[in-house]
Amino acid sequence: MTTETTTVRPTARRILPPPVTGQEFVLTGVIVALWVLLGVFTPAFLTPGSIQPLLVSVAPIALIGVGMTFIIITAGIDVSVGGAIMLCAVITAKMMVTANLPLPLAVGLSIAAGLLLGLVNGVLIAYGRVHAIIITFGTANLFQFFALRVFGSETVNGIPGTLDVFGRGEAGRTLGVPHSFAIMIVIAAIAWWYLRHTTGGRHLFAIGGNANAARLAGIRVQPRVMVAYAVTGALVGLAACFFIAAGTSTLDQAVGSGRELAVIAAVVIGGTSILGGRGSVIGTVLGAILVQTVTSGVTQLGWPSQLATLFVGVFIIIAVGTDLLRQRVRAQP
Amino acid sequence: MTTTARPPVTAPAKNRNILSRGLEALLTQRIVLLAVLIVVVLVVMLSLDVGGFLSGSYNADYLASSLISAVPLVLLGLAQLLVIVSGRGGIDLSVGSIVSLTGVVFGLAYGVWNLGFPASLLIAVVTGIACGAVNGVLVAYVGFPPLIATLATYYAFRSIALVVSDQKPINSQEIQDFYSAAQSIELPLIGGSLPLIPLGIFTFLIPSVIVVWLVLNKTTFGRRLYALGTNDVAAAWSGIDVRANRMAVYAISGALAGLVAVVTVAQFASARPDAGTSGSGMALPAITIAVLGGVAITGGIGRVSGIVLATLLIVWLNAGILLALPGNDGTQFQLLALGLVLIFASLLNGLTKRKYGGI
Repeated sequence: MTTETTTVRPTARRILPPPVTGQEFVLTGVIVALWVLLGVFTPAFLTPGSIQPLLVSVAPIALIGVGMTFIIITAGIDVSVGGAIMLCAVITAKMMVTANLPLPLAVGLSIAAGLLLGLVNGVLIAYGRVHAIIITFGTANLFQFFALRVFGSETVNGIPGTLDVFGRGEAGRTLGVPHSFAIMIVIAAIAWWYLRHTTGGRHLFAIGGNANAARLAGIRVQPRVMVAYAVTGALVGLAACFFIAAGTSTLDQAVGSGRELAVIAAVVIGGTSILGGRGSVIGTVLGAILVQTVTSGVTQLGWPSQLATLFVGVFIIIAVGTDLLRQRVRAQP
Repeated sequence: MTTTARPPVTAPAKNRNILSRGLEALLTQRIVLLAVLIVVVLVVMLSLDVGGFLSGSYNADYLASSLISAVPLVLLGLAQLLVIVSGRGGIDLSVGSIVSLTGVVFGLAYGVWNLGFPASLLIAVVTGIACGAVNGVLVAYVGFPPLIATLATYYAFRSIALVVSDQKPINSQEIQDFYSAAQSIELPLIGGSLPLIPLGIFTFLIPSVIVVWLVLNKTTFGRRLYALGTNDVAAAWSGIDVRANRMAVYAISGALAGLVAVVTVAQFASARPDAGTSGSGMALPAITIAVLGGVAITGGIGRVSGIVLATLLIVWLNAGILLALPGNDGTQFQLLALGLVLIFASLLNGLTKRKYGGI
């Protein structure tokens, strides 16, 4: 039972939104313009030595952003990802130090931990019928607490280089493409296809548009919502590995702090409506690239690095503002 | 045989025993629940104290001095109350950044430009209002979802505070002397028999609570806010200027954050540009207080007394945890307590809504 239709029907195009939306074209244009400008003012910007670290820093934000897009499409939100990153990262790092886990086990452990945390959120939100932002504010505290207990008031030192395949170094690239970025693109592509062309994906949009109508139409709302949070949790687990790899051999307690807002900013800049029912994974990836470009551009221009967050704020306002404006124009006959 | 009509349908309530009525009051009246929880916390902590499990004495003096941390919590909790009650997913994530930015401005005005306290306070409040008005315009007039608008301004104000101050705290001699505003005082007349109470309680907390209570309950503006939060389409049709009223709420939230900035500067004897944003920031605890205090996140429901009691519960619980688990352990277990209390409160909100309808 899919929403696909034959091309004969004149309304066929209306049922599925276009594969790439206007917002995404605009975003691509803004990113290209920024890159050209930065390339003109700081010649070092458009070199592999500068672009590769940029892509590595985009990967975890965009990866979690993919999950967050699912959640926000269902009209939910998850502000606990910062705490979840911290907990997954510290558990994995500690286990790597004590047991010297091989790569698959380390990644698997991190993903399993993230999945579990996502399930906690999902069960509470879907079956407790509580507003998502409240519950995830609460679980953010819990995750931070457990993470700090595992940290035990000190940094984790001497992490073996097992995860360097996701890092900034030479080991983290094949043919110049960072592995973490490539993995993120593959997962984003699968998510894009899932959201657009499968029953489950279309159900998420229906739930976000009107959960009650979706339920009456026979969609099992609660399991779908729960899965959205669980998927995000698993992606947080994978992203936590990227964060461990991004550092040197130590992991400090600031890992993950404030990332939930960076992820939400990326999703929102990408054109996903916080009210639910509308959004796309491509936009989220572009949003993450934009946010990280601004952050890295500000430093490379020699401006105070705190200015970056001002630009992120301005971009959120511009992106959402133009979207609101476009809707208002469209609503007028 | 009498001909009197049967009693109205509501009568069964009278026949129910006191236990089930008590349970209903506990579940449906957030004030009752909070009062009971405060008593439980106090009893548990006092008995731990008697048993010798605490590193310090959990007595009236300690409870009174811990109230200093209640001042910013109550003020920001009231800000969230107003914003959330106004409906349409109202929330203000930017209060922490406004505290940082306004603190820097106040520090400059009072500590560097030497404008004197009244003028500096006025400048701080006006700065807060200006920041809040930006949120208000975005939400009420442009139509941004509040979560997004205040997320964007959270980023922007935080950045401006750090850049304006060059990331350095302002702690000139005037600011350091201003610490006296945060000390504890003995009340005149009856003070001898009472513990010392932080000055901020009388100068900031109690006046703000009274003003916000009066505004919400005794003014047209306040009653309009509840109307707005319950159903803003109906409010618009009944002639309420929805946009202007909603905008005003965000400006007031900014003003309260401006007051918190002054309190924070006094407390730290320094105007720190990251005062409201370091760690997990000030917005999260404030929203927690509001939800715990029975404010419905969907708007239209919420009371000032809920905010005050929820703050007392959190502050005294945290104070007790610090004594029971000194040092780092204490601050970590405060996170656990805050998280559990928040989840518990919101699940309870859901449960009571299903069982009794309404909070």
